[in-house]
Amino acid sequence: MAQISIAGDTSGAITIAAPSVAGTNTLTLPAATGTVLTSASTQVTGPAFSAYSNSNQSLTASAFNKILFQVSEFDTNSNFASSKFTPTVAGYYLINTRLAAGPFNGECVLTFYKNGAIYKYSQDISLSTNYSLHGSALIYCNGSTDYIEIYVYAGSATTTASSNSAYTWVQGYLARSA
Amino acid sequence: MLYEKLIKLYPSLTPQDFSPNGGTIILQNDSDGKGDYIKEWEHSTLAKPTDEELA
Repeated sequence: MAQISIAGDTSGAITIAAPSVAGTNTLTLPAATGTVLTSASTQVTGPAFSAYSNSNQSLTASAFNKILFQVSEFDTNSNFASSKFTPTVAGYYLINTRLAAGPFNGECVLTFYKNGAIYKYSQDISLSTNYSLHGSALIYCNGSTDYIEIYVYAGSATTTASSNSAYTWVQGYLARSA
Repeated sequence: MLYEKLIKLYPSLTPQDFSPNGGTIILQNDSDGKGDYIKEWEHSTLAKPTDEELA
């Protein structure tokens, strides 16, 4: 394997190696100062998780109810626990969620909480039937103390539908590092 | 439920007072078994009830 090795000023070295496969390829570096990403970079390996609720949950009337997600499908950085996402890598996280519940009898608002307080409202409906609420938000987390939870404001007492992983879930990933 | 207790204590309260859209009272339930509680109370004329009044 042909390769170029550049020794560090005091120690170590960087080696650029061509793969032993047929064909000619060109690696073009950008005309800018910066750091080249690799498959090990945080931007590539940043936290990602998916969790869902596995049991129906009672929602009390006219209150913001925290949604419980008991089952983790994947959690690449072990940052999701107790229905709370607390990433240990600073950055901007895209969080998506779906809540199946009903029957509603009044206003219902899917809500993103950050650090225990209302942060972003999402879908807001007022009707009297079973329904699913969907939400998405880009949320900055400092990588240490910031955490995200999902709540729903229920205008009337009702229950979530959580018979399997498709009904009530939350997912998120690092969209951009800090 | 806390909402029903508040309505009974203050009959003038309406669902709109608790609404995320313009309401001044936030009730919250952290699903930790401790039930509903008053997260914020910023009603312009009614005082936040005491624990004794809600008992």
